[in-house]
Amino acid sequence: MMGLLYAGCATVQPWQRGRLADPCMTFDSDASRVAYQTHWEEAREASAGGFGVQSGGCGCK
Amino acid sequence: MDWAQDELNVQVHSFQDTRDATIISPTIDLAKDFTDRTSLRVKFGLDAISAASDSCVRCHRPGANDTRVLAGASLIRKLSDDTKLTVGAEVGHEKFYQSTTVLASISKNLNKGNTTVAGGYSFSLNRPQLHPSQQTENQFANDAYASLTQTLTKSTIAQFGYEIAQINGYQSSPFLRALLNGERVVGVSPDSRTRQTLTVRLRQALPLDSYLETDYRHYLDNWSIHSNSLQVGLSHYVTRQLLANVSYRWYQQTGAFFYAPEYFGNPQYFTGDFRFQPFDSSLYSGRLVLTPRGRVLWLPAGAALTAEYEYYRSTTGFAAAIFTGGVRIPLGTR
Repeated sequence: MMGLLYAGCATVQPWQRGRLADPCMTFDSDASRVAYQTHWEEAREASAGGFGVQSGGCGCK
Repeated sequence: MDWAQDELNVQVHSFQDTRDATIISPTIDLAKDFTDRTSLRVKFGLDAISAASDSCVRCHRPGANDTRVLAGASLIRKLSDDTKLTVGAEVGHEKFYQSTTVLASISKNLNKGNTTVAGGYSFSLNRPQLHPSQQTENQFANDAYASLTQTLTKSTIAQFGYEIAQINGYQSSPFLRALLNGERVVGVSPDSRTRQTLTVRLRQALPLDSYLETDYRHYLDNWSIHSNSLQVGLSHYVTRQLLANVSYRWYQQTGAFFYAPEYFGNPQYFTGDFRFQPFDSSLYSGRLVLTPRGRVLWLPAGAALTAEYEYYRSTTGFAAAIFTGGVRIPLGTR
């Protein structure tokens, strides 16, 4: 599936990347905000992960 | 990470929920380039916790306060123009819980920067103290992830990720008491847990200076907990200096195979951890980012001010409100 996806993708040249360079197009551009949100979600939900390597645990209760 | 810019990011989060926990969390992130190929990121965070939640008030009638301190550092090294290596460590300390984490990740750009493959690994040693006793237990967590980020068109980027974690050791909560044969007792959870996560994320540039973000995550573990979450957000530049964002996150999970509101007899596993029950939840968020032209007061040109409000509500009756205020200060460019 990944190969088919890759084969169908356009190659965007560097001078065409104007809108792609906006911070809104960057995943997790505010790492501090993402880290805090995933931390409190994991303190209130059973799931964790999906956004890079995990930090340590906590006694959150 | 923006390689070209040194930056200080200060945020203050205020969290309050229906379990009567109030948490004020200032965080500081500093990113600093030392050479053209080496950068250091340092972070410091504090959770000032006023917890009158039921897990504390049972013994501490007025409630109980705690402070969690978190500190971490990461060194980022460009091995080549396309490859970046990150190594780091993080320590957390609070009453009755210590955690130490080491982590490493690598990413490589391919296809003229249209494709990025990344992977990482972390190891955590978590040490809960079985309050009110002095006994301390160990928990070992190994975590690995891989992701593929692909530019699909001039206005579309997708990311696919997979993560697996193996956690061994003590995993019961010494604070949350299970109801067993009519008595409140410390729960017993399995001492091994394997967690897997699949993510599909999309960023789409829209007309009129707007952007759509969509994140889907499927989670499963060997405790029979399955979850799905879907987050959709829309960002719009009201002016070039003012960015507005609204988003909604839907979350659904099944319960752990050993979860029950109450236990009878002599079960092998039993828990009072409210996170292991089945529930759905919704998170509503609104954010404003203001980047004034030129200097403002003592802030240099390029500084950004952020204000965000989030409201979380689940089908269990639990609700939380989170307010965040922050400032990002560029420290100079290379």
